[in-house]
Amino acid sequence: MAADMESSLETSLSASGTATGTLPPARSRIFKIIVIGDSNVGKTCLTFRFCAGRFPDRTEATIGVDFRERAVDIDGERIKIQLWDTAGQERFRKSMVQHYYRNAHAVVFVYDMTNMASFHSLPAWIEECRQHLLAGDTPRILVGNKCDLRSAVQVPTDVAQKFADTHSMPLFETSAKNPNDNDHVEAIFMTLAHKLKSHKPLMLSQPPSDGVVLKPGPKPAVPCWC
Amino acid sequence: MALRSAQGDGPTCSRWDGGSEKDFNAKRKKKVADIYQALNSEPTDVAALRRMAISEGGLLTDEIRQKVWPKLLNVNTNDPPLISGKDLRQMSKDYQQVLLDVRRSLRRFPPGMPEEQREGLQEELIDIILLILERNPQLHYYQGYHDIVVTFLLVVGEKLATSLVEKLSTHHLRDFMDPTMDNTRHILNYLMPIIDQVNPELHDFMQSAEVGTIFALSWLITWFGHVLSDFRHVVRLYDFFLACHPLMPIYFAAVIVLYREQEVLDCDCDMASVHHLLSQIPQDLPYETLISRAGDLFVQFPPSELAREAAAQQQAEKTAASTFKDFELASAQQRPDMVLRQRFRGLLRPEDRTKDVLTKPRTNRFVKLAVMGLTVALGAAALAVVKSALEWAPKFQLQLFP
Repeated sequence: MAADMESSLETSLSASGTATGTLPPARSRIFKIIVIGDSNVGKTCLTFRFCAGRFPDRTEATIGVDFRERAVDIDGERIKIQLWDTAGQERFRKSMVQHYYRNAHAVVFVYDMTNMASFHSLPAWIEECRQHLLAGDTPRILVGNKCDLRSAVQVPTDVAQKFADTHSMPLFETSAKNPNDNDHVEAIFMTLAHKLKSHKPLMLSQPPSDGVVLKPGPKPAVPCWC
Repeated sequence: MALRSAQGDGPTCSRWDGGSEKDFNAKRKKKVADIYQALNSEPTDVAALRRMAISEGGLLTDEIRQKVWPKLLNVNTNDPPLISGKDLRQMSKDYQQVLLDVRRSLRRFPPGMPEEQREGLQEELIDIILLILERNPQLHYYQGYHDIVVTFLLVVGEKLATSLVEKLSTHHLRDFMDPTMDNTRHILNYLMPIIDQVNPELHDFMQSAEVGTIFALSWLITWFGHVLSDFRHVVRLYDFFLACHPLMPIYFAAVIVLYREQEVLDCDCDMASVHHLLSQIPQDLPYETLISRAGDLFVQFPPSELAREAAAQQQAEKTAASTFKDFELASAQQRPDMVLRQRFRGLLRPEDRTKDVLTKPRTNRFVKLAVMGLTVALGAAALAVVKSALEWAPKFQLQLFP
């Protein structure tokens, strides 16, 4: 199972070849994205879905930080997207996760659409993120997961959209599980990757040094496709 | 009682070094007899039981574990079962988190177990955890605790598991159950100094990669229960850890990293690559060899020797582990033959000696490396751990709970 879950690195590297024409031989740029949110909102499934292309059979609690990677092609450039999947329990992030915040180029906040409490935790996650991130304008997006469980939805889209607007984040509602949503999960991370690419054109494998001032991008208006 | 096969641990045990199947069976038979002799002596020969738990093959079967684990933890099996009159699922602040974690822990149960039975065990697992948390308000639940509890549940059943895990939680696991994980992080800070003692090159590579130690977090706080898929390996390690100092799991973690030296050095020197490699434990590790090696390392580089370096990685904090007295025996390991020492320095790493001049002095490490080379008698090292482990047990209780 562990091997199964974590095989995403290899899978993705070979799978990515189909999307790319000629791969540049040199090392590709790396976008590091940290995925955070309450326990059981689906962080592991979401990252697994993007990196391995399918919903994992079963997942366990993430302890500490797991890592998945996938190479994609964006405008002819091969880019590695690294997803850092974090533990949901509060005690882990307090002592353990800072290291990963510091290295992140972008942040994905996840809540469970069928669990209002996970939505209400978001301000705390956002605040904590603000304290740890180096750059003030690090791209962030908000993902409501489990939209396939329509009858159980507790967090109305308009409420979530308003919250996302308040925090200047695009909102996506999706399902890591729904097989028809594969393109959607893909689109979420690809949108982020495009944003990163245009946002920090000079970015290499490390975050920019403190001296570089980056212009914040225009507020994106991303439709909710669910 | 036995929820797993009562036939013992099968194939893993047959990997005992050398010898034919006949030898293996004879060895095993003798060990079983020795264990029962230690169990039946009056008073119980706990020292011998520790030795058996550490030495090759560990405690062999769940039937034996049911009898020996309580002795290793000094739990009286005749005590009335722990119960609570309250509806803990209604009251506990941790119930939701425990429920989420237990529900998702399907992989911990033997494949092929009927769903109904597994669900029953999951309910018991929740009850055990909530009961221990209720009885010990100073303890805080962490994700991964359920991985430890399920191991005990599967081996000894609900009633005894509750007593054993409660004892374990107030001792070996105590640091992980603080309100914060600061002490857990502090224990993780022992990892790199251990690696540094044995293999400075590997240490420096990992430091350059800034890989941190989070890859070993789940190993440490679940005693590897979260990451090893073969339950036989998990219980074998639990035999070992139950008989040893609470910091032994971090030594074992270091031994795994050291064992994978070449793979690590072949990685790109960046956090993601090294973290990714190390966080996935190969399932076919030579457990018996690594266990001996971990015991060996512990004797040579006891926590007190590493404490300063560990603290340097983070401001030192008081941990339950730090209140343990280190094994007296460890000091006996520190007088290797001077001549040999010099020869090893000359022979082992000429390239590093050059680096020495350019960077920091490494003399100390070479001495240690020579000792490593000389200490081939792993069995003897394990024995030393046993002797000293006996010494810490009473002191530990006195110091933590005066």
